[in-house]
Amino acid sequence: MDRGYTLAELLAVEASRYVRDDEMNFVGIGTGGQSWIMAVGMPTVAVSLAQHKHAPNATLMIGPVLDPLLDDEYVPDANWEYDLIYWPCRSQIPLEDALGIFRLGKVGLSFASAAQVDIYGNLNIGRIGTKDNMKVRLPGCLAQTDHGAYAKRICVTVRHNKRTLVEHVDFISCAGNENRKGLPGGGPALVLTDKAVMDFDENTGKMRLKSIHQGVTLTDVIENTGFDLIIPERVPRTEPPTSEELKLIRLIIDPKGKFLEARITQEAANLN
Amino acid sequence: MLERKSKQHSVRDAVALIKDGDKVAIGGSLIRRAPMALVREIVRQKKKDLTLYSWSGGMDYDLLIGAGCVKEAWSSYCGLFQFGMAMNFRRGVESGQVRFVDLSETCAKDKFRAAAFGNTYCISKVPLHTSIMENPEFQNIVTCPFTGEEYVAMEAYHPDVAILHAHRADKYGNVQFDPIRMMDNECDILIAKSAKKVIVSVEEIVNESVVVQNPTWTMLPKIFIDAVVEIPFGAHPNSCDALYDFDLEHGRMYRDYSKTPEKFLEYLNEFVYSCLEHESYIDKCGGTAALKKLCRPAKEKNDG
Repeated sequence: MDRGYTLAELLAVEASRYVRDDEMNFVGIGTGGQSWIMAVGMPTVAVSLAQHKHAPNATLMIGPVLDPLLDDEYVPDANWEYDLIYWPCRSQIPLEDALGIFRLGKVGLSFASAAQVDIYGNLNIGRIGTKDNMKVRLPGCLAQTDHGAYAKRICVTVRHNKRTLVEHVDFISCAGNENRKGLPGGGPALVLTDKAVMDFDENTGKMRLKSIHQGVTLTDVIENTGFDLIIPERVPRTEPPTSEELKLIRLIIDPKGKFLEARITQEAANLN
Repeated sequence: MLERKSKQHSVRDAVALIKDGDKVAIGGSLIRRAPMALVREIVRQKKKDLTLYSWSGGMDYDLLIGAGCVKEAWSSYCGLFQFGMAMNFRRGVESGQVRFVDLSETCAKDKFRAAAFGNTYCISKVPLHTSIMENPEFQNIVTCPFTGEEYVAMEAYHPDVAILHAHRADKYGNVQFDPIRMMDNECDILIAKSAKKVIVSVEEIVNESVVVQNPTWTMLPKIFIDAVVEIPFGAHPNSCDALYDFDLEHGRMYRDYSKTPEKFLEYLNEFVYSCLEHESYIDKCGGTAALKKLCRPAKEKNDG
């Protein structure tokens, strides 16, 4: 179905609405392909779009590159180490100090992805299976546990299926909303998928359907979720991008698909 | 003036400082600036039962695990970045042959920093309510005497040996890093300071007078260093800051060879065991001329 915009554009515009002025936002540096678009490309466009539209003082930390110039003309063609080092930006500081920014409470929205997400927003990038009966050892926590502990709001982007949206995660790399005693950050706030947008119930900490994308049915969402999602009485359509937003993305921010088609990586892809 | 001690060693003599069962901390991150030539020499010398520490592992961990040198490994990550999963690491951990201890990036860095500052432990809120706490080393909760806040106490890393790769050094062990570099790798400085012995491979050994021209680049003065080894392209196939890129072709080949233990043994035979000198490894990889294609020109920047 041609909606007049791509899924990646829809998610970038939706995520941009949660970027606030004067806050630092975090994305990792990712690998390539579709997972890169969800974890890095889409979030970067979201922050850039927010800078253009309502948050001119919002900044982005993308790996070691702090507050880079984000319009296409400044963005390197590849994300090799050399290219990251020379990407025009306002600051490059030691990673331990950059991660220290979290601990000072200055990170607003942080972006994450995961192999598993559960009803409370616990994330898993550690392993599939138990410690003693491991099916797949995944690469590890990276900085997810760090921003998971300290960011004010976490935006999770994953594929919408029962393998990913599970009742219980096998390993917790980011603490969800059922028990965060002693953790200063706000925890998972938003889950974006190819079918819907979810947030979390303020009282129970459980995941709640917020809006459904154009062309997707409620049954489709329910059947592809591995737990009982809270379904409010009225579930709106995810607000589509405006023509102004699409123009900014397509002409200024990402005309070459470096971010939304992962062309900056070695593995171009498409989220649709 | 009395003669001063030279710390310049051959790669063989330097790595001979590492003993079976040692705790070895490795610099670099992901597949960037790990001291890969030193790692290959560890494999050639068939070190056993090592415990590895890093904040972000990559091909260094995978190679050492695949060669059977490792009993335990700690890190926030072990993968081959854009080449996907580190298969030797996966097999080693899934089979139980290697104990892997999960950390986040800040937890690992904190443990190095604690040791580098002369402390025996550090505190963090990060592991709370996560699976980092499933290991007994992360189950000590301490309460701040001033605010009452709870933290997980984490013991400082005290590696027997740290191995790193840097840009240049003089023979006395004054180690320099160019001002244009990947700031993700700054933890190398803390890693070096945490260890009892420090071995650094460098792209070039220069005259002390070169070092003296830019003393602020000497981030590891000789007091911290036990051995320096001159190994051009010593991080290969890892990238080395803006000096050379990751070797894509070698990375793809490594990924294919590491799909099974049998195939991986072929890789070890071809690129590690049979390459007694670093030069023969470079020749196997197409020679210096081929590797120079990984170098891109330095750009004007107002640093330094």
